[in-house]
Amino acid sequence: MNISVYSKKICMLGTFGAGKTSLVRRFVHGIFEEKYLSTIGVHLSHKALSDSVTGIQFNLIIWDLAHIEKFTAATRNYFRGAAAAIIVLDLTRESSFAEKQIRIKEFIESNPGAALVFAGNKTDLLDSHEQVESELHAFAARWQAPAVLTSAKTGENVESLFELVVAAMPEAKKR
Amino acid sequence: MNTKNILSTVIRETSVAYALFDHRLQLTSSDFTSLPWFLPEGCPAEASDIWTLFPELVGSEPLVDSLLAKRKKRFVLEKINKLGPDDRLYYADLQFMAYSFQQPASRGVLVLIFDRTSQVAAEQQLQQQYYELQLLRSRLASQPGFLSNAILGASPAVQEVRAFIERIANHNTTVLLQGETGTGKSLVARVIHNISPRSAKPFVEINCAAIPDTLMESELFGYKKGAFTNAQSDKKGLIEEANGGTLFLDEIGEMPLSLQAKLLTFLEQKAFRSLGSTDEKRVDVRLIAATNRDLGRAVAHNDFRQDLFYRINVVSCTLPPLREMGDDVLLLAEHFIELLHFEVNEKVTGLSPSARAKLLSWHWPGNVRELRNVIERAMIFARRDKIEASDLLLSLPPAPAGGDDFILPATGFSLEEHERKLLEQALKHCRGVQSAAAARLGLSLDTFRYRIKKYDLNPRDYS
Repeated sequence: MNISVYSKKICMLGTFGAGKTSLVRRFVHGIFEEKYLSTIGVHLSHKALSDSVTGIQFNLIIWDLAHIEKFTAATRNYFRGAAAAIIVLDLTRESSFAEKQIRIKEFIESNPGAALVFAGNKTDLLDSHEQVESELHAFAARWQAPAVLTSAKTGENVESLFELVVAAMPEAKKR
Repeated sequence: MNTKNILSTVIRETSVAYALFDHRLQLTSSDFTSLPWFLPEGCPAEASDIWTLFPELVGSEPLVDSLLAKRKKRFVLEKINKLGPDDRLYYADLQFMAYSFQQPASRGVLVLIFDRTSQVAAEQQLQQQYYELQLLRSRLASQPGFLSNAILGASPAVQEVRAFIERIANHNTTVLLQGETGTGKSLVARVIHNISPRSAKPFVEINCAAIPDTLMESELFGYKKGAFTNAQSDKKGLIEEANGGTLFLDEIGEMPLSLQAKLLTFLEQKAFRSLGSTDEKRVDVRLIAATNRDLGRAVAHNDFRQDLFYRINVVSCTLPPLREMGDDVLLLAEHFIELLHFEVNEKVTGLSPSARAKLLSWHWPGNVRELRNVIERAMIFARRDKIEASDLLLSLPPAPAGGDDFILPATGFSLEEHERKLLEQALKHCRGVQSAAAARLGLSLDTFRYRIKKYDLNPRDYS
């Protein structure tokens, strides 16, 4: 029996220090480092994941992008051909919710129809989740996208985040 | 040395790698000897297709087709970073190019890989420091206590100001801050900037009253070399310096009318021309304007453009005068004592009850700025560890010409007591001569007599 594996490009978007790299490292390698190291350009990682409902296999090629100060032709090339974006928001910093800095609009313009999933990251630093959770869902609702609270440090919902991405793929939805 | 050897030498010496793929996108030749870290782990360069060697192209299949069909000549991906076997990060620029094979005649894709590690490493270090600082700033700004630490006070008036800042900080709306002199308009503008998404960008403050009219246009909009006699080189204006951030125009009511028109055009179009230039510059700034004047009245007197007034008065906030802040006066006074503790007088640690009462009874025409000055002076002259009422020098500013605005203190005012004192002083100055004393107070003789009788004052006691 021939099993199809779909390779999909996923972009990690968000302001500096939101935890994009930490989420990818937790998901791909199962590790977390406290030290903040800012990303320059883009770092690619791979991980295979199956859709829990349909069992369809996906080879996720995760583009961990640096915070985008200026949107240029070079930046647009990073977005080209992405099937989805994970938008990472730092729950400890309101400024990480600034739409312009996240470049969601530019991403959608480059990839109409691509899936969006929002991650409200750093829950481990919060005493209470209730208020930020409603703010996160309200923010994601503007793009009619799902959202999940995550912690790269504890691993909370990190797997679920990528499962949400996979479930949003057209191939998973078809069956 | 044949051509192939020369090419290999060049590739090795210049830290470049290459991979050549045929029309089926299978690897036909490659040289990764100078950039071995680039190859995916466990992936032999031989017998690989383009998708295995360059997963960066997954999702860009139409683009690769365009290269093969020569509809597109090249495609560049910058700063791709890879973790080397030594756990170091390496950086490369990838250039994908259309390529024509001569034998057999077909098309392919040539990929050039340029090592950018040393340049990017320096960039990374700079960025790391900058982002760490910004991270710290934005975390502080998001802390629940940040606003209450930045804007002190517990009175309803101050709470309204805090609520206003929270509501508007994340928007790009133009803000007009109004309030008497010394109420902290500049501080509020800075706080709005610091907790806004623009906090990492510049905050440029301009006091329109402090710049001579003749210089203001060049200061704001900049100039080209040769625009006027002393313009020996191009100079950026303050508006351009604020690009991406916040422009704070303090005392906007003092801006000359001629410049108000140019500012309005800039606000409408987000673009301007420097002096002497025909090129239009586009900038993205958020404007916060402040004034202690009644701009509505200034518009009525033709001192301020009505269209500019409507353009800047999108969202406005009137900062409360100190006399309306009740006990916050004491909170602020203690804050200034703490602030000036090491700088001015380490001995002083607080306020005596008499000093507190005196501070509460004053009407603070100079607002917070006056309070700070009063506390600083008191700390210099204080002999004990607590500031006493006698250390506090409270004085009215000289009355402006024609100035007749009396300000009612927050704690109230005994009209009768002051009326009695004024009548006594007038009698004293005029040595009991009733007609002169009446004239001094702008009263008729009959009215004056009626009032001194009311307070049981005898003019003879002052003769």
